[in-house]
Amino acid sequence: MNIAVLIKQVPVSNDVSVDPETHSLVRASSEGMINPADLNAIEEAMILKEQTEGKVVVFTMGPPEAEKALRDAMALGCDESVLLSDRCLGGADTIATAKPLARAIEKYGKFDLILSGALSSDGATGQVGAMVAEYLDIPHISEISAVQYDGADTIRAVKKYQGEEVVMEAELPALMTVCFGCNEPRLATLRTKRAAKNKPLETYTNAELQFDAEEIGIKGSPTIVTDSFSPERTRRAVMMTGTPEEMAAKIKELIEIEKGKN
Amino acid sequence: MANGICVFAEHYNGNIETVVAELVSAAHFIKETTAEKIMAVVVSQDCETLIGQMGRLDVDEIYAVKTESDCAFQDDALSSVIADMIREIDPSSVLVPATITGRSVFSRVAAKLGCGLTADCTELLVGTRENGSYYIKQNKPSFGENVFVTIVTKEGCYPQMMTVRPGVYTPYEAKEEKVPEVKYLDIKAPASKVKVVEKRPAASNADSILAAEIVVVGGRGTEEEESFKLLKSFADSLDAAIGGTRPLVDTGFIPFEHQIGQTGYTIRPRICVSFGVSGAIQHTEGIKDTKLMIAVNKDEEAPIFNIADYGIVGDLNEILAKYLEK
Repeated sequence: MNIAVLIKQVPVSNDVSVDPETHSLVRASSEGMINPADLNAIEEAMILKEQTEGKVVVFTMGPPEAEKALRDAMALGCDESVLLSDRCLGGADTIATAKPLARAIEKYGKFDLILSGALSSDGATGQVGAMVAEYLDIPHISEISAVQYDGADTIRAVKKYQGEEVVMEAELPALMTVCFGCNEPRLATLRTKRAAKNKPLETYTNAELQFDAEEIGIKGSPTIVTDSFSPERTRRAVMMTGTPEEMAAKIKELIEIEKGKN
Repeated sequence: MANGICVFAEHYNGNIETVVAELVSAAHFIKETTAEKIMAVVVSQDCETLIGQMGRLDVDEIYAVKTESDCAFQDDALSSVIADMIREIDPSSVLVPATITGRSVFSRVAAKLGCGLTADCTELLVGTRENGSYYIKQNKPSFGENVFVTIVTKEGCYPQMMTVRPGVYTPYEAKEEKVPEVKYLDIKAPASKVKVVEKRPAASNADSILAAEIVVVGGRGTEEEESFKLLKSFADSLDAAIGGTRPLVDTGFIPFEHQIGQTGYTIRPRICVSFGVSGAIQHTEGIKDTKLMIAVNKDEEAPIFNIADYGIVGDLNEILAKYLEK
């Protein structure tokens, strides 16, 4: 089974503020890492690879620095990688991100399964996976917590939904988005990190992807960010002060009053 | 010309989800300025029952498609039906619950229609363009809760489609029942390539937190083993379940299923006491309908105090130790 994994490089820290004058974002650090839920997607791919053989190719779209995320993914066991990087792809919303990813997957080869993290830690839209599935015209199951594959031409997944586990089956090829925390991602070792340096990495620019300028990047995005601002801080809580002892007593009292109601 | 505010009437197990009435509140707010009609979209095997539940939403029209089988979880088929409905209705905006189903189905709808989909809005405002036409300012948190951004669908791009976070708007409830005009559209669901094999009760112990009357939530301030022990004893003394934000889950003290906020569950305890939790936005989504919420944090500026009923600025270790002494 050949598997494509879609990953996103996200900032290590969500410590971002807004410059009150320019309304532009001020980041505490520019350091990037693989989105946490994508690590769970990679782990799921690795488990399936051990079971079925085949190769795992990891895709990301971003600036040239996103190569680091791809190398990290290959250090975890992914075999090959593709970086979609071109200035004209920049500023894309989810639609203009999913379109090039879908085309890159088609161009690279034939995949039975495509995995991605369910939500990113920065934008957290949870949309790109399902959109890629739509552009590839394949079924998808979103926000799953387990995958089961028995070698047939369908694949099963478990989705936690309103206190139940829903077991679903999709015809292959299919796409699934994997929930953060649903498995224990393996760690890279010095040896696998070294090996990752020599694994194949292809870069696709728009010369390979062949989109019209108005289909991608800011121009191809139906939505635009027009402003950013700091959240309003309106205090709602009744604030209480005192010694730890007094506060402990207060907590006890409040809980007992609430418990006594009915 | 695109016109009307469309609300997706999400449902599960024969019930319209509460969030739909919340979205209708947002729609009524938009209507005050734009004077557009409010329309609900429903796709089900049993539309009649669901339409019957929408009598107090004061929507002008309901568009319905009756499917031959239950399409729940068949997001490929559902999105195809909904995209066809939206093409026919031609609304100026579509409001979708920011739920697992909402974002999954409408991501595909957005790709089919080539329109955008703004995720997880917490505020919708109406703006006016120079030519007098209206547009929706879609405000949403980004980077956790640290920044809010305003997203606008480009001029001429319709529908303006967005998912709206559950729990942000108060559910709409009209004083009187009103029978809206119901229009059944003749649209067939294509065969889905996804099927539900079985549903079973969740095996994990997340249930204990979903059902708990009292929940104690630990944040970044409870990562230390000593602090967590105190938190645990406190929870035990109240027979409470322990939930946590991401940092506490990362330590492994509590299982992933007990994470509260962005990637976790929505819990509805009667009493919630948080220690060392600073965030507010993730919690408005993660914790709902709480009758008493007490927050302890050492930072008096912590946003948690914006949603708690009672706030205590202090050292959680000292307070917990004193509490447990008695």
